[in-house]
Amino acid sequence: MERPTNLGMDGFFRPRGIAIVGASAKPGNPNNQIIEYAKQMGFKGNIYPVNPKAGQIAGLKSYPSILEVPTPTDLVVLVVPAQACLAVSKDIVKRRKEKGDVGSVVVITAGFKEMGSKEGQELQRSLVDTLNSVGARMIGPNCVGVVDTFYGINTTFSVPPNTPKGGVALVSQSGAFATSYLRWANDQKLVGINKFVSLGNMADVDIREMLAYLEHDEKTKVIAVYMEGINDARAMIETAAEVSKKKPIVVIKSGRTELGSGVANSHTASIAGNDAIYEGAFKQAGVIRAKSVAEFYHTARSFDKVPLPKGPRVCLLTVVGGPSTICVDELASSGEVQLAHLKDELKKKVSALLVPSANVGNPDGYIDMTASVTSKVHSQVLKLLMEDDDIDGIIFMTTPPGFLDQEELAAEILAGYNSVPPKKKKPLLTVMLAGNAVSKCRTILEENGLPTFEYPDDAAKVMVNLVRYSCYRRENS
Amino acid sequence: MAEITITGVRLVDYRKIIKKNLSKGRSSIPEIEAYKICDAFDIPYPCTEVVREKSESFKVAENVGYPVVIKVLSPDIVHKSDVGGVITGIENKEQLSKAYDDLEANIKERAPFAKIEGIVIQKAMPKGVEVVIGGLRNEQFGPVVMFGAGGVLVEVFKDVSFRLAPLDPREALKQIAETKIYKVLQGFRGDEPCDLEAVSKLIVNTGRLICEIPEIKELDFNPVIVYPDGCVAVDARIILVR
Repeated sequence: MERPTNLGMDGFFRPRGIAIVGASAKPGNPNNQIIEYAKQMGFKGNIYPVNPKAGQIAGLKSYPSILEVPTPTDLVVLVVPAQACLAVSKDIVKRRKEKGDVGSVVVITAGFKEMGSKEGQELQRSLVDTLNSVGARMIGPNCVGVVDTFYGINTTFSVPPNTPKGGVALVSQSGAFATSYLRWANDQKLVGINKFVSLGNMADVDIREMLAYLEHDEKTKVIAVYMEGINDARAMIETAAEVSKKKPIVVIKSGRTELGSGVANSHTASIAGNDAIYEGAFKQAGVIRAKSVAEFYHTARSFDKVPLPKGPRVCLLTVVGGPSTICVDELASSGEVQLAHLKDELKKKVSALLVPSANVGNPDGYIDMTASVTSKVHSQVLKLLMEDDDIDGIIFMTTPPGFLDQEELAAEILAGYNSVPPKKKKPLLTVMLAGNAVSKCRTILEENGLPTFEYPDDAAKVMVNLVRYSCYRRENS
Repeated sequence: MAEITITGVRLVDYRKIIKKNLSKGRSSIPEIEAYKICDAFDIPYPCTEVVREKSESFKVAENVGYPVVIKVLSPDIVHKSDVGGVITGIENKEQLSKAYDDLEANIKERAPFAKIEGIVIQKAMPKGVEVVIGGLRNEQFGPVVMFGAGGVLVEVFKDVSFRLAPLDPREALKQIAETKIYKVLQGFRGDEPCDLEAVSKLIVNTGRLICEIPEIKELDFNPVIVYPDGCVAVDARIILVR
């Protein structure tokens, strides 16, 4: 008997081989798509379809049972019907006792506790107990599984294999929500991920454990979490508070229902809905809570791309009036960000580069270059702002005029941003108020690490979140 | 009541108060005993006494010092002001005599089955900014503290913020800053700024209290009146886990 290999959570993301139990030979079927996606990730280990009825699936030899799989295989993906999962788990126990591998199991199959039935609940319990009895860990059931872009793992039928690599680790109680994010971002390469974890019913591995694991994961720069609800919220918050000292956690939480149970006898209990407590607890733990889907999308990806601001002083550089006012409104309403004070010397230098009708410093911290500005001037002005130590972050707002070449404009913005050494870098958020009309310019900036936005209020919310988190970090590490 | 004195601080054996009330099958702690628990956690409240008879009340009020507030003491009444169980602004003996009769009449009419154990006579505190500080035990989060704009309209304005307990004074200050009442505490329209340090200390102590007494389900100090120098809880409602 082999001593079971205990890879812990690593087994899900760095397995020696992957077996997909219930893989289908039929194209157009999700259980076939899983094999196709797994193959397209450049995984260096073996991928084994397990299906007693098929000889070959997607060009790979299929095995009748997990017990027949020839080489060490740490990750097992289950897509067989719920009732069959328990039988497979018993095979896993047998194999683990004999060969010591198969320690990480992703159960994609639905039909467990989420059904609300006693049978479903009991089946889920038996499945976890069986696997845990030999030290195997489980993600799911009722999930789409895991992705590791660097290691070439993809157990899903929905996360595009060409999803860009990056520093975001996406942890979600909804597979659909997390997948939508990546598909939305794919065309313009807005988000780069290193890990994706759909937790489903969280029968074994839960959000708290994922946070603890990702704290020490070198490739993870920011943890983005979609959350519905969990049982031990305090333990999760306590872990989050530790993780936040090292890397940002961005959360979107649905299900803002009231406490509802029992009659409250005090003012405190009558207004203390769980959501209100989550709100306070997140702040206490330095967790950034996004209030909308767009805010979540942009905040998570921006934390990956930009450095943290050193303080709350933001300069708004623009060529357009109206949208900038919307941006200033959003910044000001936070109460946490202020417009930077522009010193006379800086104002003189900036004014010298612009036309006389340009507005430099009215209000303080605000510069309107006017629409007559050339591509070159963008880099010159940005350089001055990047160099100034009294500015902690910059929001640049433009509707790029048709007469400016998109690639040239992107190059000048990047030149301005990169004019200072890495240590002096500060967040530069670029709002391109022209939708797909400037998609080329946006994509160049995104690929070179500068986040871009379509709407001024989105950029402002992201800046507020960056400032809020950097303040937590300064106070807590 | 067992009391011990260590370096001038009065420590109360609050366990006995909790135990006694639980054994009596009570769901809340009478106001006057709630203050004894406050003593143990360094939560300030005004000079407060209980009388059983109207005849005793004049001497007691004299000792407490006018102006006073009187409140009904009954295990059956949680929201005292809802049944006319609180009368404020009593300046002298004559007013106290009338208020005492009025209060008894109110209860007889609006809570006829409530058992009246006595009348609380409390030193009336000068006007200040009214806040609420509360605590509760949540099944997912455990002990939690609340801070916000106080008074009877707490539930209407919902100007409150929460933190998990225990917490330190720095975190409590952040919690305070998340509410609208914070602006008022900072000194609104030329008023002198309030003592935020005292408020944060009271929040921290409320957190300690809810953490250390697992039998408490929820509690309110509402209102807590805040001044430029200090703050004081003028009502204490402690609900037990049953």
